[in-house]
Amino acid sequence: MKFSVDWLRDHLDGTTPAGEIAERLTAVGMNVETRESNGDDEIWDVDVTTNRPDAMNHRGLAREAAAAGCGSLRPLAPNLVEGATPVGELAKLTVEDPVGCPRYCARVVRGLKVGPSPAWLAERLERCGVRSINNVVDATNYVLLDVGQPLHAFDLAFLAGREIRVRRARAGERITTLDGVERALNAGDLVIADAKRAVAMAGVMGAANSEIGAATTDVLIESAYFDPRSVRLTARRLGLKTEASHRFERGADRAMTRTAADLAAELIVRLAGGEIAAGVLDSNPELPAPREIAFSLSRLWAFTGCEVPREPALRALSALELAPRATGDVITCAVPSHRVDLELPEDLYEEVIRFFGYDNVPSALPAGEVTPGARLGTWPLTERGRDALAAAGMAEAFTYAFVSAEADAAASGSPLAERGAAAALANPLSARLAVMRRSLLAGLAEAAAGNLRRGAERVLLGEVGRVFFARPGAVVEEERLAVAVAGRLGAWDALRPAEFLDLKGVVEAVLAGLGVPACTWRAATVGVLAAGEGAEVVRDGRVIGVAGRLSDAAVAAFDVPSELWVAEIDLSAAGAAARVPAFEPLPRFPAVTADLTVRHKLALSYEQLVAAITAAAPPWLEGVVPVVRYQGEGVAPDEVKTTVRLTYRQAERSLTQDEVNAAHFALMDRLARELAVSFS
Amino acid sequence: MATDPLERAREEFLAALAEAGRDAARIEAVRVRFAGRRSGLLRDLEEALKTLPREAKPAYGKALNELKRLVEERLAAAHDGAAAGGPSRSLDVTLPGRRPVTGALHPVTLVRREIEEIFLRMGYSVADGPEVEDDWHNFGALNMPPDHPARDTQDTFFLAGGPLLRTHTSPVQIRSMETMPLPIRVIIPGRVYRRDSDLRHSPMFHQVEGLVVGEGVTFGNLKATLEAFVHVLFDPRLAVRFRPSFFPFTEPSAEVDITCVLCLGRGCPMCSGSGWIEILGAGMVDPRVLRACKIDPERASGFAFGCGLDRVALLKYRLPDLRLLFSGDERLLRQFEGAR
Repeated sequence: MKFSVDWLRDHLDGTTPAGEIAERLTAVGMNVETRESNGDDEIWDVDVTTNRPDAMNHRGLAREAAAAGCGSLRPLAPNLVEGATPVGELAKLTVEDPVGCPRYCARVVRGLKVGPSPAWLAERLERCGVRSINNVVDATNYVLLDVGQPLHAFDLAFLAGREIRVRRARAGERITTLDGVERALNAGDLVIADAKRAVAMAGVMGAANSEIGAATTDVLIESAYFDPRSVRLTARRLGLKTEASHRFERGADRAMTRTAADLAAELIVRLAGGEIAAGVLDSNPELPAPREIAFSLSRLWAFTGCEVPREPALRALSALELAPRATGDVITCAVPSHRVDLELPEDLYEEVIRFFGYDNVPSALPAGEVTPGARLGTWPLTERGRDALAAAGMAEAFTYAFVSAEADAAASGSPLAERGAAAALANPLSARLAVMRRSLLAGLAEAAAGNLRRGAERVLLGEVGRVFFARPGAVVEEERLAVAVAGRLGAWDALRPAEFLDLKGVVEAVLAGLGVPACTWRAATVGVLAAGEGAEVVRDGRVIGVAGRLSDAAVAAFDVPSELWVAEIDLSAAGAAARVPAFEPLPRFPAVTADLTVRHKLALSYEQLVAAITAAAPPWLEGVVPVVRYQGEGVAPDEVKTTVRLTYRQAERSLTQDEVNAAHFALMDRLARELAVSFS
Repeated sequence: MATDPLERAREEFLAALAEAGRDAARIEAVRVRFAGRRSGLLRDLEEALKTLPREAKPAYGKALNELKRLVEERLAAAHDGAAAGGPSRSLDVTLPGRRPVTGALHPVTLVRREIEEIFLRMGYSVADGPEVEDDWHNFGALNMPPDHPARDTQDTFFLAGGPLLRTHTSPVQIRSMETMPLPIRVIIPGRVYRRDSDLRHSPMFHQVEGLVVGEGVTFGNLKATLEAFVHVLFDPRLAVRFRPSFFPFTEPSAEVDITCVLCLGRGCPMCSGSGWIEILGAGMVDPRVLRACKIDPERASGFAFGCGLDRVALLKYRLPDLRLLFSGDERLLRQFEGAR
C-alpha cells in the first residue's frame, strides 16, 4: 500500500527523519519496500500484512511509528460547524439487520457545489494511487486513506423517501453498480436501500442510481461498520474487490464510524461549501466493552528465550493504545476496537517482542536430547529411484503433475495407469493443465519431444513423481519412475540409433539400482506402446513396469518428431521386490569358457534358448551370456545366428578340458535333437 | 662404469633402449645388437660362461639369466609401446574420451537434499504426506477457517468432489503433530500447487518446511536454527534479519531476510537495490494450531519455518526463470551432470 510521508507527519509529532522512520517501521513488521521522492514528499510502498487493517491508513501507520519511537501520535480532533436544521428532519435511518451492520452513522450536508478538488488533495490521492474524481467523492476517499474508514456519499435527492434502510436483498432484486455493471443480488446480500430500491452493495460498492454528479447539492455521508464475513461473501461471489471491501473484510474500526463521518463532513464543507445538518444519525452508538487479555511476563520470557525488559514493553503497549496495567508478573491489556488481530496472550507476546526487536532476541539452538533423523514415508524409495536414474545416465526432469485430458488419455494405456479414473481439476488454469496425470509418460513424452524439436541429437530423460487415480471416495497417489530414450547413442565415434535393447539396458540398470533382482520380460500388448515393440517387466508374478516404443498414436498426440523409447516403473512394487545383497562365496577354482553359435528360428526367444541350454547342460554350467546376434547374408530371413558364451565351473575342483569338451558336445547333440537348431 | 661385464651390458642396453624411444626401427636395432641370435651381445656373454672356472659358473649363470629376462621384457614392452603409438605417433590426447553417460539430478533435488542433510544432522526426520489434501489439513487446522482472508493468497486448485491440491507443505506439519510423539523435529520438503502462473510463479512448485515441537522451545531457538541453516546452505558471512510478519498458523511470525547472495549487501537488481533477499517465513506455532492437533500449548511450544525450494535453486544456481525448472530441457538439466 502507498503512503505519503508528508501525510504521515500530519499524525506524527516529532522530527524523526524519513529514513529512520522507514527503518524502524520495517523492524516492527511494517515493511517499507520502496521509497521514492516526490518533490518535498516521499512516497513509500509498505507491505501491511492482512491481519492489520488498522495500519492500512496513514493514522494507523503513524501509530506504529510512534510506538517504534518516532515521535508521538497527534490527537484526532474534528472541528466541524453544524447548522441549525437537525439531521433527523432531513433523512431517516433504519437498520433492519444489526448483525450484518452493527453500526451505521450518517451525516447530511446541504447546499454544496460539486467541482474539482484543490491541487493539494488531488495530488495526495494520486500519490497514493487513487484517481481524483470530484471534491465530494475525493473527500470520502481522503478520509479512507487518512483514518481507514470506508465511506460512501449518496446524492440525497435520489434517495426515495430521503431514507436509508440497511437490509438483506430481496429475491430477484438487481442493482447497477458504480462500475456500470448490472448485477443480480442474492437473498443473503446486505444492501443499503432507500424507500424503494437498493442504492449500494453494503461495504462493497455504491449504485449508479444515487451517484454524486455535477448537479448534486445535498449529500448523505455513510460511515458504517459491516460484518466482515457478510462483506466477504458478497464481494467474493461478485468477484469484486474494492478499497472498501478489502478493509471491511479484514475488520474496520467500529469506534471510528462516527469520527470519520465528522471528518468527512468537515472536509466536504471546506472543499464544496454548504451546511452540515445538526447531529448525526447513529444506529448504535454503544461500543462493546474492550476485550481484555492478560499475560505473564515470566511466561513471555520462557517463550522468547530472553528477559525482555518490562518498562520498554509497557511503553510500546501504551503507544499502541492497549492501556497496559501491570500487577506483579501479570500485564493486562484492553484491546481497542481497531486491533482486530489481538485475541490470545501469544498475540501480545508478538507485540512486545516486535517492539523489543526480533534482532535483539539472542539466538540459541534447541537444547534437549537429539535422536537420529530418518527419511520417512516414500522418501527412501523415491530418493533411491532418483539415484538409480542418475546412475543410469538419465537427466532428471520435473514435469507438471497436471496434463490435458488428451495427454492423459494418450499416455495411460498401460496396466500401471489403468488403476482408476483420471482426477479432474474443478478449476484448472487451462485445458492443458486439466487433469491429474495417471502416467509420468504424458509429461515425459512432451519433454522429450521438446528436446528433439530443439535439435537434440539424443534424449535421455527420467522422472520420479506421483500419479493420481480417482477411486470411489478418494484420490489415490502412487509413486512412479519413468524414462524416455531417443536419438543416437554411444561414444562420439560410434553413434547409432537408440533401440529397444538400449531402453531395456537403462531399465535393467535402474531396477538394479533399486535393488530389484533379475526380472522376467515378456512381450505384451500395451496401449501406449507400439504393437510388437512393447514388454511388461514382471517380478514375483506382478507387473512392475512397462517398456517399449511409444505408439504411433501417442507419438502423434505428443508431436514427437522421431521414434521414442519409453518405460514406466511402479516404484512401490519395485520397492517391495527389492533385496539387500547377500555375499556369495568367491569361486576357488578356475572356469572354462566355450562359445556356441546356434542358428535358430526367430520364434525361439533368447530366453527359451538359454533355458534349453541350461536344461541340457551339466549342473556345473555356471552361466550363459550372449556374444553376437547375426541376421543377414547366409541366414534365412526367419532365422538368426546367436553366439553365446558358456562358463563351466566346478565349485570343488578344477575342470579338465576333456570333461568340458565332452559335456559341451553332449549339450550340442541334445540341443540339435530337441530344438530344430544347427551350429554353423 | 661397472667393471662386471654383465652389469656393463645391462647399462648399455638400458641406455640404448631409452635412446630409441618409441621408434620401432631403432628398437629393432637395439634388439639385434643385444639379443640377436647370431651376433648379439647376450650370445657372446653366454659363450663366455663356458670359459669360466667351475666354481664361478652358478653365480654368473644366475646373473646372466636375470639379464636375459630383463632384456626380453623391456624389448617386448618397447615394441608394444611403439605399436600403440603407431608408426606415425598419432595419439591425440586432446580428442574427447569415450565417456559413459553421466546422469544429472534436477537442481531442485540437489538443493532439497542439501537442505535435508543439514537438518538430518541436527536430528530432524524428513516427513512426507499426500499432495491431494482435505480442507482440514490444508486450512482448517492451520487456523484458516472457511472465509478466512488468508485463503485468498493461496489460490487453490480443487478436484472434483471436494479434495484439493495442497497449497503448501504445512498440512504435513499437522499430520506430523497428529501422529508423532513429542518432541518432534521434522523437515518437510514437497510439491505444492497454486492457481498462479507467470515469470515468478508456477502452478506447481516446491517448498520445504521445518517443525520443532516440545517442552520449552523458544523464539531464540528458532532464530539460531535458521541462522545455522542459512549459513550452511549459502555462506557463513551472510547476515540474517528477522522482521515481524503475519501467518495464520504462527504467532509471533517472522519474515527472514539474508544478505543478497549476489551482491553481498551492496545492492543489485536481484535484491532491488536493498541488499537483502527475503528467503524464509517462520514463527512460533500458533496455540490454536497446537490445540487443533491435540497438543496442550501450556505444556509444549514449537516453531515452524518454510521456504520455496525452487527459489533457493534459482538463487544458488543463478537461474533466471522459475518455469525453466519444469521445462524438461536437457540443455539445462545436463548442466548439473554429476552434481551431488
